[in-house]
Amino acid sequence: MRTSRTDRRAAAGFLMPFVVLFAAFFVLPIGYAIYQSLLSVERAGPLGLGGSRTVFAGLSNYTEAFADSAFTDSILRVLLFAAVQVPAMIGLATLLALLLDAAAARAVPFFRSAYFLPYGVPGVIASILWGFLYVPGVSPIVDLLGSAGLDVDLLGSGSVLWAIANIVTWEFAGYNMLVVVAQLKSINSDLYAAAQIDGANAWQVVRYVKLPLIRPAIVLTTVFTIIGTLQLFAEPLVLRPVSTAINTSYTPNLAAYTEAFVNNNYSLAAAQSVILAVAACVLSFGFLRLVGRKGDDR
Amino acid sequence: MRQLRDLRRGRRVLLGAGLVLAVALAGCGSGSGKSGDPDAATGGRKPGEKIEMTFWSWVPGVDKAVALWNSKNPEVQVKLEKIPAGSSGGYAKMLAALKAGSGAPDLAQVEYQEIPGFLLEGNLVDLSKYGAKDDAGKFVDWQWQQGVFGDAVYAIPQASGPMGFFYRQDLFAKWGIQPPKTWTDFRQAAQTIRAKDPKAYISTFPPGNSAWFTALAWQAGAKWFGTEGDTWTVDINNAETRKVAEYWDGMVADKLVKTEPDFANGWYKDLQQGAVVGWVSAQWGDSILSGNAPKTAGKWRVAPMPQWEGAPFTSSNWGGSSTAVLKGAKYPKDAKDFAVWLNTDPESIALLIEGGYGWPAAKDALAGSTLDKPYDFFGGQKINDVFAEADKAIDKDWSWIPTTSAAYQHLNDGFQKAIAGQGTFVAAVEAAQAETEADLKAKGLKVKAGS
Repeated sequence: MRTSRTDRRAAAGFLMPFVVLFAAFFVLPIGYAIYQSLLSVERAGPLGLGGSRTVFAGLSNYTEAFADSAFTDSILRVLLFAAVQVPAMIGLATLLALLLDAAAARAVPFFRSAYFLPYGVPGVIASILWGFLYVPGVSPIVDLLGSAGLDVDLLGSGSVLWAIANIVTWEFAGYNMLVVVAQLKSINSDLYAAAQIDGANAWQVVRYVKLPLIRPAIVLTTVFTIIGTLQLFAEPLVLRPVSTAINTSYTPNLAAYTEAFVNNNYSLAAAQSVILAVAACVLSFGFLRLVGRKGDDR
Repeated sequence: MRQLRDLRRGRRVLLGAGLVLAVALAGCGSGSGKSGDPDAATGGRKPGEKIEMTFWSWVPGVDKAVALWNSKNPEVQVKLEKIPAGSSGGYAKMLAALKAGSGAPDLAQVEYQEIPGFLLEGNLVDLSKYGAKDDAGKFVDWQWQQGVFGDAVYAIPQASGPMGFFYRQDLFAKWGIQPPKTWTDFRQAAQTIRAKDPKAYISTFPPGNSAWFTALAWQAGAKWFGTEGDTWTVDINNAETRKVAEYWDGMVADKLVKTEPDFANGWYKDLQQGAVVGWVSAQWGDSILSGNAPKTAGKWRVAPMPQWEGAPFTSSNWGGSSTAVLKGAKYPKDAKDFAVWLNTDPESIALLIEGGYGWPAAKDALAGSTLDKPYDFFGGQKINDVFAEADKAIDKDWSWIPTTSAAYQHLNDGFQKAIAGQGTFVAAVEAAQAETEADLKAKGLKVKAGS
């Protein structure tokens, strides 16, 4: 009895730092954002200059957010982005990991570091670097294609989303690869020997041994990528001044940022943030449910 | 290592959470504000009392002007804190501090188009209580009016941007083109340039910079915003603005102008290489050109802004800024005195000009100032003679609304769509009208379409 009580106390003690930080920096801000999203400002006097008061507004900020076509467009845009970006990212990360893990691979530590290196560059810096490679007149790539008779506009309305996808892939494929590599390393090599004895070729080893066993790592990186994609912010913000196709509500995060810090409408920004958070939750947990059910079927 | 990776990955997720947190912090104590406006007679400071005021600004050269004030006024020290330019986060910083009720400066840089927005949130001190009306005569009238609402004075004007046409004189001469007097000439010149050099354009139409387009509409005689009794009026979609939008629709459709963003690397490169050979811009554009295309020195000239036919000579204004006293300032009288000194004292103006702050709002500041000189970059031309004429030919009745920056965004969005082949600039103007009315309504204000 005595030990269990001290155990409980010890457990509480160990948990405290986490719970306090979690409450202060996660639960509280989210709660405040939800509260803020339910408020609006009423004004009095001629031209509204006679003072203001904050009133409860129900869900009017949410209806306003959904009625704003620029905001709904931004959601559709990141969904389209995710539909392409997530499979491309996960496919590339898995491919790189399998290549590094292949029996014939040479100079593995070098390539592993090289693939991972872009992850060490902060997103803003990466966007500035790539921005230079996209801007006509400055970019050697665009100039080279131009002299070959190919006039490409990497920052135009049809292409800039994929120019951003390229930056994001460059930044994070190496990181996701490393997660998959870690899982590949943990596979017991006896399994490969057994497969070889059964007559499996290299491709069959990948298909029937490696891929099923790294499934948890792929699921994890997919969830990371879904969340990261919906939160797209720094890349479009940095590229905005050099592109003619990125507006101030290009992504949901950018829209909320603009409402809060340019239009001074914190309530609408809060509503937009909450909508985005819910969407990220639904998609992430939806994906986990989906793969979980498939896992049970197997 | 694993924790480190998770931390790094968490960075992206945290961006969203950080926003929420910022919202939370900014929201604390909303509506409370600082209490205790000081006594109107003294403005707070007792004779002989030593005080310190803080001043947030991003204007180049202002640090030297403030240092000069401090050396002359040991009792009223001003502490300058440099902040990012207003639209790059400066205003967000001010509004957050004001909303939090602490940490806001006594004085701040506020551009003309932002004054109504600050006013709406109750963030500016009425300086007429501290004798500001006696200072009206020291400033160009229309700029003084930018800070006047009803009987109150909310801002001391600092600088503006009368407009002209910057062009590459060497290339114009080579191609046999005169600087365009009218917008029809401008179009013809654009055609000639396209014919003479397939790489060159007369200018760019910056789809993401509707402040520039606004200045062109201002020149054409549009008057977008105003007040009528207790109602704000919005008239973006008027005949004059549509005329300007239609004109640029035609220029873009016929590929007579580039559509790249201004103030960006690609544009600077084009200026350096003679791929963009003209720029309709404000007086402060001189330092943008000389700073970003230094090797073209001596080749540029300035002509008056191209004109619409059948109207007396009219120029326009792009940009303009004031010094305002923010809510909670402890010594508003002293703050006002500093603001007036900063923007009228010849020595202070000289330092600000040196930094490149624009066109002085103080009356008759040109004669004898450092602006009144030949510029080597412009082949020895006294370019400010052109801008002095322009300054006299600006429609003085232009005013702004509390949601100006949102209106700019709506125009930008529409222009960007038009460039992408969805719609026209005229359609963008129509859409911006409806959206701007909605913005004002959403702020809880009465609004009416038309002037």
